[in-house]
Amino acid sequence: MRPGATPRLRRHGMILAGLLVAYLAISAVVTNSYYQLMLTLVPIWAVLGLSWNVFSGYVGLTSFGHAAFFGLGAYTVALLLTMLNLTPWIGIPLAAVVGAAAALLIGLPTFRLRGHYFALAMLAYPLLMSYLAQYLGYNEVSLPMRRDEPVTWMQFTDPRVYTVLAVGLLALAMAISMVVENSRFGLSLMAIRQNELAAEAAGLNVRQWKMRALMLSGGMAGAAGGFYACVLLVVTPEAVLGMLVSAQALVVALFGGVGTYWGPLIGAAILIPLSETLHAELGEIIPGIQGVVYGAAIILIMLLAPEGLYWSIRDRWARQAAPRPSPVPEAPARVPAAPAARPSPPPSGKTLLEVRGLSKSFGGLRAVDDVSFSVVQGSILGIIGPNGAGKTTMFNALNGVLPADRGEARMDGEEIIGRKLFEICRMGVGRTFQVVRSFPRLPLLDNVLVGAYGAGLPDEEAVTAAREAITRTGLTHLTDAPAGGLTSKELRLMELARALAGRPRLLLLDETLAGLGRDECDAVLDVLKGLRAEGMTTIIIEHTMHAMLRIADELLVIDHGRVLAQGHPREVVEDRKVIEAYLGRKWLARCSK
Amino acid sequence: MTKDSTKTDTIIRAGSVPAMPRRAALALGLGAGAAAVGARPARAQGQTVKVALLAPMSGPWARQGQMMRLGADMAIDEINQSGGVRALGGAQMELVVFDAGDSTEKAKNAAQRMVAQHPDLVGGTGAWLSSFTLAVTEVTERAEIPWMTLSYSDAITNRGFRYVFQMSPTADDQASKALPTILNLAKAATGKQPTTIGLIAGNDASAVSFMRPIRETELAKHHLRAVVDETYTPPLSDATSIVQRVRNGRPEFLLCITSNVPDTKLLMDKFAEYRLGGDRLPKVGNGGALGAPELGEVVGANIIQGLMGIVANWGGKGQEELAQRFTARTGEPWLNQDSLMTYADMMILREATERAGVADRRKVADQIRAFDLTDGVALLSPGGRLKFDEKGRRVGAELVIIQWQSGRAVSVFPPSVATHTAIWPST
Repeated sequence: MRPGATPRLRRHGMILAGLLVAYLAISAVVTNSYYQLMLTLVPIWAVLGLSWNVFSGYVGLTSFGHAAFFGLGAYTVALLLTMLNLTPWIGIPLAAVVGAAAALLIGLPTFRLRGHYFALAMLAYPLLMSYLAQYLGYNEVSLPMRRDEPVTWMQFTDPRVYTVLAVGLLALAMAISMVVENSRFGLSLMAIRQNELAAEAAGLNVRQWKMRALMLSGGMAGAAGGFYACVLLVVTPEAVLGMLVSAQALVVALFGGVGTYWGPLIGAAILIPLSETLHAELGEIIPGIQGVVYGAAIILIMLLAPEGLYWSIRDRWARQAAPRPSPVPEAPARVPAAPAARPSPPPSGKTLLEVRGLSKSFGGLRAVDDVSFSVVQGSILGIIGPNGAGKTTMFNALNGVLPADRGEARMDGEEIIGRKLFEICRMGVGRTFQVVRSFPRLPLLDNVLVGAYGAGLPDEEAVTAAREAITRTGLTHLTDAPAGGLTSKELRLMELARALAGRPRLLLLDETLAGLGRDECDAVLDVLKGLRAEGMTTIIIEHTMHAMLRIADELLVIDHGRVLAQGHPREVVEDRKVIEAYLGRKWLARCSK
Repeated sequence: MTKDSTKTDTIIRAGSVPAMPRRAALALGLGAGAAAVGARPARAQGQTVKVALLAPMSGPWARQGQMMRLGADMAIDEINQSGGVRALGGAQMELVVFDAGDSTEKAKNAAQRMVAQHPDLVGGTGAWLSSFTLAVTEVTERAEIPWMTLSYSDAITNRGFRYVFQMSPTADDQASKALPTILNLAKAATGKQPTTIGLIAGNDASAVSFMRPIRETELAKHHLRAVVDETYTPPLSDATSIVQRVRNGRPEFLLCITSNVPDTKLLMDKFAEYRLGGDRLPKVGNGGALGAPELGEVVGANIIQGLMGIVANWGGKGQEELAQRFTARTGEPWLNQDSLMTYADMMILREATERAGVADRRKVADQIRAFDLTDGVALLSPGGRLKFDEKGRRVGAELVIIQWQSGRAVSVFPPSVATHTAIWPST
């Protein structure tokens, strides 16, 4: 569980229980079988929306194909009942298993794709299954009516029972979603959505998390589809595998709010009755007009509340509730906490990282060319070089973002080249990126926690590590502030804290000072010095020369992918080759005079 | 067959308003139709007999729903003008219409709304598409409403339901009757039985289920050799290769199961281009949509000339007057399958209510189950018999073959229904 999750879960659980009880109370007094059917359909589509949200909402990979899981679930229940005489009471749990298994099979090839390509590939699965179902002759599978023992076969004469079952399914789906969203699972997924590369650099096994999410999502959709088959009683490819089903999942979640379990609930509770009422009332007058009105309503909501109803209302409410969360007292932890806290081993002279002959080419361009250097434990190595010199590429090759062509890099004698990104992170290499990505709505602590989770720390320890990292970066007073309100300096420090939360032995910082003013820059440098005092080894890429001169123990100059010079900062900046690389031959000539 | 047609005349006269000028009848009909559609309070002097039409009124199948409604409205008006349900003291019949929309779920929702809002329905008809009908009848069966349907699927009457009555031959039945019906037509036209056939079909649901038994058993049974057998994925983007193969294979006739207008047009155009028009190669498709007036307009009278279709019912011999009234009333050029079958359903519901003597859905259903008629309403359906077997399927339901001739879709087979002689090239 994430810190603070337990009270939140308890509060939300109470709200949900209240809502569901009220819903059941309403359904108990509704005698009109048509309204009762609506009351049954709302939870079903909400469950499908929740299933979509668990994957697409948190991970951020849009799935246009959730009908695949839903339809498989429906067909599982229908075919088991018609062919093997297996009751839906067993069929629906099996449908969930089938959904999850299908997710595994679909995920294996499809996770190779990203972004739009992933979304489009997902679109293909239900289409494919739809044709397969037709080919196999399952165009119309009707669930046989059981006049004997209707309860055994989930066929009730009282339509209210279906509503109770649907609400039960919804409660289960909500419980799953709540646990996911408030745990390491959800936070890891959100980190992937924010920046897949950064998440992996923070040590998360991205592929595995995505797969878990898709399987959970597939299972939920499968169960929803299975129950839907029992309500509709007829399963056709169009009804359960059709484009409209996938769209429904997407629409209720987008409408209600993506990335929160309340979203699909709100979306389904509004859209399903709205669509049906329009169909019944307006469609009576002008057939077909209901689609136009429904479409217009969705467009309007999306324009007014692009992130969904829930977020718009919540943000507005939050703004009104606290007119301006008074900028947190700046003063207290200006200077990072005392180095006294830890025994500070001075630079021991022991080499932590040893890089030999590292090379990386893009076609004919040798971005990193035979680079060798070493870093002494507890020191700060600054890497400088003109734009396009290959600094960031070298970082990428070092920590596994890009595969290196040649060369080796040993950390404490262990080879790191050739390992996966998250493995390198778990060996103790922390990294920040040029562009900071945060979860604006989550508190700073959760933002930092991602790094600790990534390093594989267990829950309790992860929270301790995150708090420690926040203290070390001097952000203690902002622990509970949402990241959306942080200044750019604070965001830089947050990113640093995120890398520290994994308790790395080596930090790779990529232009951490970029875009900061002089004072802000000093503040960050103070933090870095504090870290060095605690024995942290750091490699930093930076353009700001004055900062580098103040902080770096050693400088490495790279130009055109090659090492130009390495040594004490003062000596390096006076090196003629370096001046030439930075300022050109003409300037050099003038200097020499 | 003349015997049949005279009987048909009787029934039509019984159902209509004799000795009234058409225009007056039309005006009256429209008025009554409007009254029937609008929500109006029950008539003071007696009860109304409520029946339902549940069909796609919006979405891709709206045209079919509209045609069904035309037939139903006309039947209800004629019934009310000719004295309503006499056994109930001339009670008027009232039609309630529900939109099945474009999905199975919407169709089922509409059915649920129908039974919730109108607990006094005595019967109904719908919902055109088999999958819609399957879902709708799950609701009507539980509400014990006698439900007539023109949908083909065998599944509809394979579920042991007691309140569903299927007027068309089922899909399996059609598949087994289609070839002999066509072969009989060919023999009647040319004097000899064809031995080669070409098959073209989409891989959509209805085409696949229609073609499977034909490929598996029926061809062999009728000593036919398929010289071309092409399956395509709708929508078709180019028909050239298919048509070339047909030309190389030289079948004596072609079974061409298309499921949408663009595919049909593309194929017909290409056949015309390759000089394989209706005068050289007989082509047979299936489904009521093949006889829709708009198809003729889109494809063009010359090119569609000779195209045949297998349907469950068509305005034919003995129904000329009915067809005329229909055209005058609706502007539709001819009496099509969907309108005629819905018209017949309404007449059957009235007949059953007359016999039951009470507007009670269960008693009405009992009467429908007990029917064994060969006159009156029975003559509105090909086969001329109104009797349902224990599954609810109409006994002796026959297929009708229609053909495009000079821009009109006319019935050409069986002789009891045919108004025109089939065009079937003799070579």
